[in-house]
Amino acid sequence: MALSSDSSTGRDSREKITIQNVSRSYESTQALADVSFSVAEGEFCCVVGPSGCGKTTLLRAIAGLDDPDGGSILVGGDPVTGPGLDRGMVFQEYALFPWRTVRGNIRFGLDRPACDCPDCEARVKELVDLVGLDGFEDAYPKELSGGMKQRVGIARALAVDPEILLMDEPFGSVDARMRDRLHGELLDIWTQTEQTVVFVTHDIDEAVTLADRVIVMDADPGTVQSTFSIDLERPRGRTARDFVDHVAQIRDELGSPVETSH
Amino acid sequence: MATQTDTSSSAVVTGSFEGDLRRYLRGLGGLLVFLLVWWVGAMTTQPSYLVPGPLESVRAFVDLFATSTAIVVPILGSSLVLPTGLAHLAQTLFHYVPGLLLGAGCGIGLGLTMGWNGALDDWLRPLVRVLRPIPPLAWIVFAIVWFGIHHTGAAFIVFVGAFWINFYGAYGGVEGVSGELTDAASTLGVERDLSMLKLVALPSAAPQVLTGFRTSIGRCWMIVVGAELFGAPGVGYEIINASNNLAMATSVAYMFLISLAFLCMDVGFRLLERRDLAWR
Repeated sequence: MALSSDSSTGRDSREKITIQNVSRSYESTQALADVSFSVAEGEFCCVVGPSGCGKTTLLRAIAGLDDPDGGSILVGGDPVTGPGLDRGMVFQEYALFPWRTVRGNIRFGLDRPACDCPDCEARVKELVDLVGLDGFEDAYPKELSGGMKQRVGIARALAVDPEILLMDEPFGSVDARMRDRLHGELLDIWTQTEQTVVFVTHDIDEAVTLADRVIVMDADPGTVQSTFSIDLERPRGRTARDFVDHVAQIRDELGSPVETSH
Repeated sequence: MATQTDTSSSAVVTGSFEGDLRRYLRGLGGLLVFLLVWWVGAMTTQPSYLVPGPLESVRAFVDLFATSTAIVVPILGSSLVLPTGLAHLAQTLFHYVPGLLLGAGCGIGLGLTMGWNGALDDWLRPLVRVLRPIPPLAWIVFAIVWFGIHHTGAAFIVFVGAFWINFYGAYGGVEGVSGELTDAASTLGVERDLSMLKLVALPSAAPQVLTGFRTSIGRCWMIVVGAELFGAPGVGYEIINASNNLAMATSVAYMFLISLAFLCMDVGFRLLERRDLAWR
């Protein structure tokens, strides 16, 4: 493994996540081959690529849920050895605990280790407000729509105040109109919390709407193909010329027409 | 942030009042037709003890509560006088309840442990494969030689029956815990295996565990009557005892009693399930 620190990634901004030469293979496929990049503190970073490019594997590796075969992942300078409360994860299919109410789901991380209850209640209330779920605190996940479930998923991940938010195609199962609204809400939350976000998606529009920087990955083997900085004012209109140019550029880079938004 | 929500929880009307009424009337109709067939069958069959009629059976059922019988409470050794029907039902419950609870407890315990612990699963799976297909009643021979065919022996048979059903409920429930939920829990700070079992695996498996237990309530009634046909005291024994005296109507009365007892337990447990599993 290369120990050099004179990599192309600049040291001007503080690196929150450093991925160095990470590889991961399953039986017959190489999900990740020598992937290296870094994410600056407070940066909103989107990872796009066709299915099978290892973007989910990469996210799980940062979360500590998957152990790469080679290379290293540093979070705040320390190697990742397993899951931790410093990295919150939002799952594509929500992964809410169906036997817990909205409140119970949001509280889950706060109760490990058991914390001071009055504080917890206030924190839950704050999060319920933040994601706009007032009045649904006692609902069970089965009673919620996809968009609402994902708000619970986000609130649950935010509850323990992680420094990094890892999002795995979180709005992939949400209808287009709701997705637009959730994008706005997510950016509001990100502005407030100043977290570092790594957001995986296969939707280029979504990536350009949200990200400071878009990492484009290629499949089989999964590698980083290129990186785009998106220096546009937020909120970003999808019909603006610059926006369309960025999207076209990334689409060209990906080469083939990847799955577009639903 | 916007506070409007995308709720689409329009109340789904399941079964109007008229629909319910129609269903009840049909059910009642089915019962009446059955009674009629039974009645005609009983009228036309000779000798009459082959098929006791409905009226005769109801009379026998009422008679179960007109006389009293003294029974001995196991362990305490004291005697108890109850209306005959209840006395024999109590005798059955003296081995049914401990057998069911112990069997369910052990079955759920082993099922959870095996479902959660891969190494233990490897060790025990072949053994389970071999022992599982043996019908609980086949163990009656050992019940007889080890405990004698009395309360303990019958409880043992019930234990075996309850054990396997509950074992599979718990085992399947824990095995079916979604990896995504355990992943979510680990990113939220659940580190120890035991905490994961308590916080994720158990609640997630609860519906299957409870279904297993409810199934075992019914199965154990079949098993307990089987054990009593071999001579353990209780309603099953009374069925065969009455038929030995050609009092077939009394046999039918005890059959009713078993059905009633099972229904009460089943409905009670369903209510409990509905309350505790509101999230499903």
